[in-house]
Amino acid sequence: MTTAPMTVRICHLYPSLLSVAGDRGNLFALMHRCTWRGIRYSVTEADVDVVPDFSRCDLILLHGGQDREMTAAALDLEAKAGPLRDAIESGAVVLAVCAGYQLLGRSYAPAEGPPITGLGVLDVVTRAGPERFIGHVAVECDLGPGGQGQLTGFENHSGRTFLGSGAEPLGRVLAGAGNNGQDGTEGARYREVYATYLHGPVLPKNPWLADHLLSRALAHRYQDCGPLAPLTDQAETQAHAAALRLARRPARRWRAAASAVSRVRRPRSPRAPATAGAVRPRATTPR
Amino acid sequence: MRIVTSRAPDRSEAGQTPVAPAGQARLTLALAGGKAAATASRVLRVGGGTSLPGIVASRIDPHVLQKATAASDARKVVVTGSNGKTTTCRMLAALAQAGGLSVTQNRSGSNLLQGVISAAVRGTDLRGRMDAQLLLLEVDEATVRLVAPDVRPDTFLITNVFRDQLDRFGELYSMARRLEEVIEALPASATAVLNGDDPLVASLAPGASARRLYFGIRAASADAASADGTVPEHAADTIRCVRCQQRLSYRAVHLSHLGDYECPACGNARPGLDVAVTAIRPSRGGGSEITVETPAGTFPLRVSLPGVHNVYNAAAALAGSIAQALPRPLEPAQARQALADLRPAFGRLEEIQAGDRQVVLAFVKNPTAYNTTLREVLRRPGRKHILAAHSNTVVDGEDFAWLWDVDLEDLVPHLASVVSSGTRAEEVALRFKYAGASPAAMEVLPSRSAALDRALAHTPPGESLYIFAGYTPMRELRSIMQRRGWVRPSWEE
Repeated sequence: MTTAPMTVRICHLYPSLLSVAGDRGNLFALMHRCTWRGIRYSVTEADVDVVPDFSRCDLILLHGGQDREMTAAALDLEAKAGPLRDAIESGAVVLAVCAGYQLLGRSYAPAEGPPITGLGVLDVVTRAGPERFIGHVAVECDLGPGGQGQLTGFENHSGRTFLGSGAEPLGRVLAGAGNNGQDGTEGARYREVYATYLHGPVLPKNPWLADHLLSRALAHRYQDCGPLAPLTDQAETQAHAAALRLARRPARRWRAAASAVSRVRRPRSPRAPATAGAVRPRATTPR
Repeated sequence: MRIVTSRAPDRSEAGQTPVAPAGQARLTLALAGGKAAATASRVLRVGGGTSLPGIVASRIDPHVLQKATAASDARKVVVTGSNGKTTTCRMLAALAQAGGLSVTQNRSGSNLLQGVISAAVRGTDLRGRMDAQLLLLEVDEATVRLVAPDVRPDTFLITNVFRDQLDRFGELYSMARRLEEVIEALPASATAVLNGDDPLVASLAPGASARRLYFGIRAASADAASADGTVPEHAADTIRCVRCQQRLSYRAVHLSHLGDYECPACGNARPGLDVAVTAIRPSRGGGSEITVETPAGTFPLRVSLPGVHNVYNAAAALAGSIAQALPRPLEPAQARQALADLRPAFGRLEEIQAGDRQVVLAFVKNPTAYNTTLREVLRRPGRKHILAAHSNTVVDGEDFAWLWDVDLEDLVPHLASVVSSGTRAEEVALRFKYAGASPAAMEVLPSRSAALDRALAHTPPGESLYIFAGYTPMRELRSIMQRRGWVRPSWEE
């Protein structure tokens, strides 16, 4: 262990543009989990028109957004693409969520309008599907030493992502839809890029993943940083277990909703039952 | 200035309905069934009868809402939006009554389809005639496209649109699109009352034929403690131009993304306000003294409820009431009286005496509502004892990621204790931990009654327990307090 306090350099990309559903919880998790261990951190926020020095970033956050915001981010990302790619090739850690995941892929074809070209660091393609996947998710992950665990959270996306031969999935779906609802994969990995459809506070609720990202980020900066000090994580463990229970409720597994509330003008009840994991169609609003 | 009437053309004979005899019989049966259900649910004490009558009546006649409202001469007002619906409706009802109209409305926030039908059943006699001169309906923003075609409102009011339950409503823009369809379907004789300070709401359906009436705040600054200068808070949603996606620049931000905005790129700016709050001063007792300029004159009003969000509600209600053709012009003095006496709706910072302690019950369902509540609570002195409860239900949704967009970090330095509860108690506790709460000050008790007991035990006599809760746990906690005799049933309000 180095004697001087270590500092993780975090870069939060598009904090106002791509932050739709509690995604900043991931930043809070990294900050607190550093503080509790006496590790220092710095946070650089880079919105549109700002190109941060990616060569001085250890951990980059790229979160989700709605269609319009994603389009704006895609346009701006062209200016950041070169240095961001270089940082990824040099082993910088990236957590990419939802729209952020799609932007790192090769392309995204929305339901309407021209396709969006992504950064292409992940060998995946995404196209909008006819309905949204909405519900709790559980995923079995094996990310190498110190990176085994069950990932749990909530998905809400109409994009269907398919992995090419150059991408590995982040994990295997235990409950929920995952990348496309067909092949049982969730998310994608490449070098130290970790991409997922699980939005919101995925790191607070999955402290093992937060710590895996932190230790990889420290390894990116420091030669010899040793293992992270353990934390009690009582609230985290309880929340993780509760979210896993919700995802794995037997009657509420992911299933295709037969009737589309948007197509039935006058359902007997004001809305379709909000069964967790049910697919509710939002055909015109892909993400 | 007299506002052009927005009423439908008078029918020659009151109560004469366009319903065919067979349809009339079915309607009568449906209304009788609904009324019987209302009586039964009260007698059997299974609730306030806020949705059962609607369920029964629409089972008997699926077109009960359309028939009952078509047969009525009443003016129809539909109020929707993310936040402030219930309070705006209470204010609108008070103003309309001051202007000489009798009012039927759905109460207790029963704003889904069955609650709306229940209100129509309650307000209609067995022949389908409505006594009241104003049918005032608060409607959930996902339900409004089902209600509006049947009710055919003369006035359609949108309070604001914030991000809310993405798992239930979908994206903000798809919600906006559905509201737009309702405005586009309004006839030219109808009025769309829109929040001009909300960049998304103000831009809805620009080509629609209905008259538009914009309300908003033109005061130099809202009350100092809650005005945020010119930068929207983290949870603000529509901070980019809805036309060109440039970041909006604000001359003033009053609440979340509500304010005086302009797009530096395309020139899209806040529209001219028809009903404008031109001055806001704090008043004794925590409310606001405001001056509102309208086409019907200048109104100096006292808003008894605290916070700039209630200034918006008052402006919305005043705009909604002057959109009606009132039997007599609304006198400023009457309007002032009507609003000055208003108490909060249940669960809206409702103060409840719980023995020698006080409970402040706050319904929080999205980041903006939660942040607004936090600001009000933090104005009060002392360290705060909190009960925070959320449950995953059909009404409350499954996804509580939005809790991470609430600025709970502002509360934590003033936190004495927090008990988290509801079926998502663990999620709530995790949020408080990462807001900086000390694990020693936190407890997780999913049972609502156990959590209430424990949180009250933490609260010293003479002090207040603040309850922040989603809709379902808020109703549950309120019924527990009702059984203990601390508070009246919500349907008696």
